[in-house]
Amino acid sequence: MEATTIDHAASRLAAILNGAGGLLGDAVNHSDLVFEPAVDLHPLSRAAASPAEVWAVDGGQALVADARCLQVVVTRAARVCWRNGVSVLEEEGDLHAHVLGCGEERAAIAARGLPIGPDTAIDLNLLRDWAEWQAVERCLADADPGSLVLIDGDLQPDWRIPSVHLAGLLERAASGGLTMAGVTKHSSLHRGGAPLLGLLERQAEATLGARAMWWTKVATTRPDAGPGLQVLVARLDPDARFSFRVDLPEGTDPEGALGAISAVADDAAFPGYPYPLSVADRLAACPSWLREEVWSELDESFDRLGVPLDVRERAFTDRHRLMERA
Amino acid sequence: MTSDSRGRLFGKNVLEATFRATPDEDLFLGELLVGVDEATGRRYLFRVVDVTYGTEHREPGWAERVAGTLLADDARRDPGAHPLHEQARRTYRVATCRCLGYLAPPAVPGAAPSEFRKPKSLPTQFSRVVSPEPDDFAFLASRMGDLPIGRIRSGETVVDFTVGIPGASLATHVGIFATTGMGKSNLMRVLAAGVMQCNGRYGLLIVDPHGEYRAALQRHPWSAQALRTYAARSLPNATGLRISLGELTVDDLRTAYEWSRPQEEALFELERHYGVEGLSWLLEFSQIEDLPGFRDIELGNRVALNTLQVVHRRARRIVGLQCIATDPNVSVGGAVVRDLLAGKVVLIDVSGLGSTEEVLVASYLTRRVIEEWQSAYLEEPERHEVMPVVAVVLEEAQRVLGANKDRESNVFPRLAREGRKFKVGLCAVTQQPKLLDDELLSQFNTFFVLGLADEKDRNILRSSAKQDLSALGPEIQTLMPGECLVANLAAPFAVPAKVDLYDDLVRSVVPPPAPRPEAAPNVSALVD
Repeated sequence: MEATTIDHAASRLAAILNGAGGLLGDAVNHSDLVFEPAVDLHPLSRAAASPAEVWAVDGGQALVADARCLQVVVTRAARVCWRNGVSVLEEEGDLHAHVLGCGEERAAIAARGLPIGPDTAIDLNLLRDWAEWQAVERCLADADPGSLVLIDGDLQPDWRIPSVHLAGLLERAASGGLTMAGVTKHSSLHRGGAPLLGLLERQAEATLGARAMWWTKVATTRPDAGPGLQVLVARLDPDARFSFRVDLPEGTDPEGALGAISAVADDAAFPGYPYPLSVADRLAACPSWLREEVWSELDESFDRLGVPLDVRERAFTDRHRLMERA
Repeated sequence: MTSDSRGRLFGKNVLEATFRATPDEDLFLGELLVGVDEATGRRYLFRVVDVTYGTEHREPGWAERVAGTLLADDARRDPGAHPLHEQARRTYRVATCRCLGYLAPPAVPGAAPSEFRKPKSLPTQFSRVVSPEPDDFAFLASRMGDLPIGRIRSGETVVDFTVGIPGASLATHVGIFATTGMGKSNLMRVLAAGVMQCNGRYGLLIVDPHGEYRAALQRHPWSAQALRTYAARSLPNATGLRISLGELTVDDLRTAYEWSRPQEEALFELERHYGVEGLSWLLEFSQIEDLPGFRDIELGNRVALNTLQVVHRRARRIVGLQCIATDPNVSVGGAVVRDLLAGKVVLIDVSGLGSTEEVLVASYLTRRVIEEWQSAYLEEPERHEVMPVVAVVLEEAQRVLGANKDRESNVFPRLAREGRKFKVGLCAVTQQPKLLDDELLSQFNTFFVLGLADEKDRNILRSSAKQDLSALGPEIQTLMPGECLVANLAAPFAVPAKVDLYDDLVRSVVPPPAPRPEAAPNVSALVD
């Protein structure tokens, strides 16, 4: 069978998905994790009461204009403070606009205070990630002792951000009695190429029951790759449709921390996902109307700055779409 | 947002409005609300025609998913296992309203707005929506007429503001539409009570087939002077109903009974044969023993025997009725007309009669009334000018106002078409307006719409009402007993009302003033 046919692709996928074994891995972050030799599922108990204060951070991004060689993007990071069952702070976060391409992105280093070298490649992911970690920093400053600080995604910042930065944040959290946790909705962890979380969910259903809450430790970070983290997978509600990857600082009691996160993952709209994070996710989103608004602001500025309409159109018109329409 | 805010306007057009309310805002179909346009000072009057759910979440199936989670908790007998955090912020209600019009700002600041205008402009977006204040209905006061029927209803709340119709509108025909148990009879009694208290300005001829009005109306404090009861059977406080055969006409027979064409021809043949006025020949005809012989000899074989037998059978039944008199001098027709001229409520209790005989009586009396008022209109306009407006109340009106009824002979369609200029109206009461003739229904200027379950009934009313009822289908469907919509030309929109309970009304009515005492004749003065 030729290797580029759909049949071939299907048969390869079937072999991977149906394969029972293989090594653990992370398809995105190959080298920083040391995987556990055995993955054992443990029952999880929800904390009797949710933490008095929970902070949640999520970032959003959007491509506003694309001339391929030049792009205009926006990023923001939202913060939520959930106290005693109510959101007491909801911060969409300032919208930051950046010009990327042809070296223009370098301006962001100074403007956003990026702790990176002058020659480091800069892209939208880095800018969004940095905005998120800055928001995390503010949360650590504002949080009461004993609070939980939830971050959308794993606890490993973009590889271009020096690990010392995260180390500093983890230290501040630890000294303030705060628990930091990263929750990844869509994980790239795998076993022999097959998505690991799905495998674990099936395994847990078979061994612990359909409504069991559970957790397991999958990996830790390599000692030389930065501050120590433990990578867990947990199902945080008996009716959760999915389990999630949860990153915790090394030394944090996984059962206690996951039990506390579970206590705020009981929302009827999405059982098993921490509700404060879903609020942050909604706030940070950059929907199409926002992109249009930014574009119209750009347009007004172009008018003021004397950029002819024709020049703008030729630069930013989506030629692909136009040609498909034709 | 002030504490009395019910929502904020966000969408739709000049004739419709949608506003957002909190998820616990109790909004009712038919509720009247006010959109406060701070920019223009106008107060837009809205009627809620639909209420739906809204959510901040845009993902498809979000609400169904939440409901599914909660339902699963219920099934496990673990309600509350999954709360919907911050529900008040994540969900809301959306009310769709019809814009009824707006109150222009008062000419003098601080005064109540008095001018109501039809909607022609859009209120400022995001205007506050509030509950109406008494002043918001003040403009209606002059349009509610002198026949009160109840109070304004806003959703399920009754507002202390009287609703009624102008008595003069009785002449432009009134329809009362409702399914069983929705309060037709109570409404009719309340209307009759209003007429009784109008000091002779209006008259009402009620043909009551079920005997359901007599006792109630006679309890009314004004009944002694404003009510006259006639009954087809012996009843207390009622005058015997007697109608002379000579006063009945073939058209009355054609209205009351279903006749085939040959049967009608037979009636005309018999009328020609006897050559006397009215139906007095019916007595002689009913007494014929040898019908074949009569047919062969007297009618020259021009009528089929079985046709004649049908007419004969009906003649015998009519002649045998207790309320039918063969003596031409014994008839209540004149007395009924006199009572109506005096502005009374005339109750014709025909309980005990069959449906067709009841129509026969109604047809005759209606004809008498319309002839009297028509004659005055044509011959004595000055007398006609002071004659009261009268209406004939007919239960189960679909029997005589259906599309297939012979309009030529039937007095009721004629009344519907021509009565208004003579100041004689029809008050049609029916459970099935869909059976009424469209064109006749369009002659009715006043509709009292109570609960109607059948969509066809609602549709026919929507197309014929003098106010737009198009969006009110769900409201009509959900009306509770005693709740109604009043649509007429006097009010700028269909007014939702809660009809007064007749028994409560009777208890609260002030009796009529005692007759002015007459001074004793001063004989000595006369002598002097």
